[in-house]
Amino acid sequence: MSKKSRISWLLIAPLLALVLLGFILPIGYTLVKAVENPEVTAALPRTVAVLDRWDGEGMPPEEAFAALVTDIEEGQRGREFGSMTRRLNFELNGARSTLMQTRRSLDELTAPYSESLPAAIPEWGDPQMWQLIKTNSNPITASFLLRALDLQITPGGQIEAVPEERAIFIDLFKRTFWISIWVTLICVLLAYPTAYYITTLSNRAASYAILLVLVPFWTSILVRTTAWFILLQREGPINAGLLGLNIVDEPLQLIFTRFAVYVAMVHVLLPFQILPLYSVMKRQGTDMLRAAASLGAPPWRQFLLVYLPLTMPGVAAGAVIVFMLSVGFYVTPALVGGLQDQMVSYYIAFFTNQSINFGMVAALSLLLLFFTGLLIVIARKLVPNLDTTIKA
Amino acid sequence: MKHKISTLIAAAVMAFALPSDGFARDLTIVGFGGGYQDSAREHLFEAYEAATGTAVSDDVYNGEMAKIYGMVETGNVTYDIIMVEAPELVRGCEDGVFAPIDYSVISADKFIDGATHECGVGGTGWGAAMFFDKARHPNGPSNFVEFWDVENFPGMRAMRTGPKMTLEAALMADGVAKADVYDVLATDEGVERAFAKLDEIKDNMIWWKSGAQPLQLIGSGEVDYAFGYTGRIIRANDEGADYQLNWNTLLYSIDYWTVVAGSPMMDEAMKMIDWITDAEPLRAQAAVWPISPANKEVNADPALQEANPGMVLNHSEEGLFISTEFWIEHGDELEAKFTSWAAQ
Repeated sequence: MSKKSRISWLLIAPLLALVLLGFILPIGYTLVKAVENPEVTAALPRTVAVLDRWDGEGMPPEEAFAALVTDIEEGQRGREFGSMTRRLNFELNGARSTLMQTRRSLDELTAPYSESLPAAIPEWGDPQMWQLIKTNSNPITASFLLRALDLQITPGGQIEAVPEERAIFIDLFKRTFWISIWVTLICVLLAYPTAYYITTLSNRAASYAILLVLVPFWTSILVRTTAWFILLQREGPINAGLLGLNIVDEPLQLIFTRFAVYVAMVHVLLPFQILPLYSVMKRQGTDMLRAAASLGAPPWRQFLLVYLPLTMPGVAAGAVIVFMLSVGFYVTPALVGGLQDQMVSYYIAFFTNQSINFGMVAALSLLLLFFTGLLIVIARKLVPNLDTTIKA
Repeated sequence: MKHKISTLIAAAVMAFALPSDGFARDLTIVGFGGGYQDSAREHLFEAYEAATGTAVSDDVYNGEMAKIYGMVETGNVTYDIIMVEAPELVRGCEDGVFAPIDYSVISADKFIDGATHECGVGGTGWGAAMFFDKARHPNGPSNFVEFWDVENFPGMRAMRTGPKMTLEAALMADGVAKADVYDVLATDEGVERAFAKLDEIKDNMIWWKSGAQPLQLIGSGEVDYAFGYTGRIIRANDEGADYQLNWNTLLYSIDYWTVVAGSPMMDEAMKMIDWITDAEPLRAQAAVWPISPANKEVNADPALQEANPGMVLNHSEEGLFISTEFWIEHGDELEAKFTSWAAQ
């Protein structure tokens, strides 16, 4: 390698390291976590080997019962047993208690186990538990990704919808994108005139105006969200003002509503829309508008046919940033929203810290990434069209 | 020039490599923070350091298990002793994230029944109960049935987000006896019954997430009757509030001390846990903070009971012990059901 190319490699090395460490590795790791399924094989190796030769019809042979008893006996002290019971319980509610009871009653069991085991714990007399173990002995599973789409795998290996009263994730994704799209739209509508107004100011006034945009931008999200919490509560200043002016008779429920989520999220994200728009508008100047006016275009035409298309890159850049950030919002909806206003990140946090189910964490994260990417691709397809239609 | 660059790179590499395992560190004990930990720092942690000469530092976390799992997986264990809730203790123990307790160092006899586990010993009891501001409501609800009664006790309620504690309360409001709550809740009919009962007050309910919120909600008048952690309610009363706390609505559990697997100071950690669960230091702590230690002797001390009527574990007769195993087994399913119910 020549000295020159060595230096150029050295120069881009931090970038390569960043892409690898910050992008490729985490996403790859998440992908693996979302599909890997090692628990059952690790805890019940003999049972899995026997069930591998079983066709899944009727009851498995005595050999399988004996293997299960040996596996549970051998696994008494190991850490695999517990995580296996939780893994199977995720697929079939009650599987954990069946397995725990089995472990507790091991001493009372005698050969032939195909008779003593179902006699002690009736669940083993049903092919369902055996099918469940067989299905989940596969080292790779689509179970988490399917569950994140409100689908589940039956013990027999069929895919079906989860019961309606437990289906939450499709609605959750819809809600997340619905809230994000509205936040983005509101941000665009508020930021556009604001950014335009700032470009019309003198340099000195404009720098103060930008400062007004930047100061909240530098303030912690938590602080700004908490401020809205105080403003919106039942005995907070907004309700006090409305009551004092006799606009309402009793305090409005403002906090813990979707309204509060929109207000706080727009407030937090607005600078991300204003700043790119301002920079595009500033660069654009007003020459084109004057040219249009001199050719006889009325103001609405100047705006729609000239100014809007020219500033569209600013709108798009800001909107993409605002949208991507809102999709991952956690703290703001968690603090000022009700239970009906929580977004996907809320469940990612739940599965990370309470349920400790990293498969679900990874599946939800991947699907969120996938859907967000999909929406951005669709938007990019739509925006140039919008652009050309306006031009035409 | 070339020499300078390589020096820089070497320096950068060293800067990354050193802090992880270059220096011996203090024995690190981690809890949930707040007033409890302030009192523990003085009377348990610093007292231990003074008594034994082992350097101890303490840290605060929110019970985020992802962090602990990450430490164990990467082998970079920076916490030694941590306080965990019961379900996390059981799961973490099964996953090998927590080390087994060395009962030859820690004497199991000093704990109340049920406070010794393979991987942890009882630190402090905690509970949640219904409370309200007597200044606003001289005659508020006195039990779960009345808490649910929005006709005779109009106003907003607040409970903890999620099915845990909520479904138990709903069943008791529906007339299920305390002893039968988990048996009923383990059946599909019982779950339906609990959610049907929740439907009755859905429009009057605000759901809180962190323990500070119910105090804030009651204090600001945002809600009228709430379910909150007893320690914080008692503390608010000590600071001048006039809240009625109904012990007959108590739901309680125990937080445990455990040692993170792979801790480089395993022996020191076991010794310290033994010391901070002994009667003497806990008495000193109880003098300054309404703790409810899982130490039999301290918990049964009549003088302390009188000075500290808020010791949760002394109200076990009135309350319901939150079943750890029930929530490990049914937690995910009921969480999904609760969420779907709440979103309707």
